[in-house]
Amino acid sequence: MITALLILHGLAAVALLGAITHQALAAAARQDIRRRSFFARFRVTDGALYSNAVVVLFVLVGAMGAILYPQYRITVRPMLQTMDLRAANGVFELKEHFSALALVLLPAYWATWRQSASDYATARKWLTWILAGLVWWNFVIGQLLAAIKGLVL
Amino acid sequence: MSARLMVFSLAAAIAYTLAYYFDWPLFVYDLTGGELRFFATTASGPAILWYGWLMTAILAGLVATLIVPPRLIERFLPDLLWFVPAVLIVAALLYEKRWFL
Repeated sequence: MITALLILHGLAAVALLGAITHQALAAAARQDIRRRSFFARFRVTDGALYSNAVVVLFVLVGAMGAILYPQYRITVRPMLQTMDLRAANGVFELKEHFSALALVLLPAYWATWRQSASDYATARKWLTWILAGLVWWNFVIGQLLAAIKGLVL
Repeated sequence: MSARLMVFSLAAAIAYTLAYYFDWPLFVYDLTGGELRFFATTASGPAILWYGWLMTAILAGLVATLIVPPRLIERFLPDLLWFVPAVLIVAALLYEKRWFL
């Protein structure tokens, strides 16, 4: 059960990472469709279309993470403490805070993508980049800790 | 509606930071007994405070949406929406630097 949930958590996180990265790059792009590079074409997308998917995926990933968290505290954290891996413990503490901050910022993020007023263009771009940064951190740290010690006893 | 969602997010994000800085979880999840202890900050064994901090934040956000008139801060909202989260991320990094020293 825990293993299946961990795999689903990881798969949903990959989808979230893809969606928010694509949206963040689109939010920062100048819409110049004449440019032919892969990167330029990758960025030419309607970022607003991603916000619902990002919110749903984030809540899903966060909920699965919250369910898995007690198992982490029982299985992984004591081992990190025994081995005196303080930095590994610290990066997870940051993952915890970043997850919570990102979760509560989702309503504002969603609302900025619904605002057509140009007043919100900067907020929309930077909030999306901030969320993308938090998602990347959480994903990489999740993979790192799973590599140090999986959740299964 | 949009302004209220933004007020919720800002208030909840600030409240979350205050909650872990000052240990204000709404409850603690006791891993040994598998139960929630409301308005506690410790448990008999290992405990999870994160759920409680998050609930404190959500509660504060909901209260803020009820009592803060969006028109009062609407002018500043576009700037606050990226500035406040950026400051809170720096605050988290500073708070957790103890693990890396």
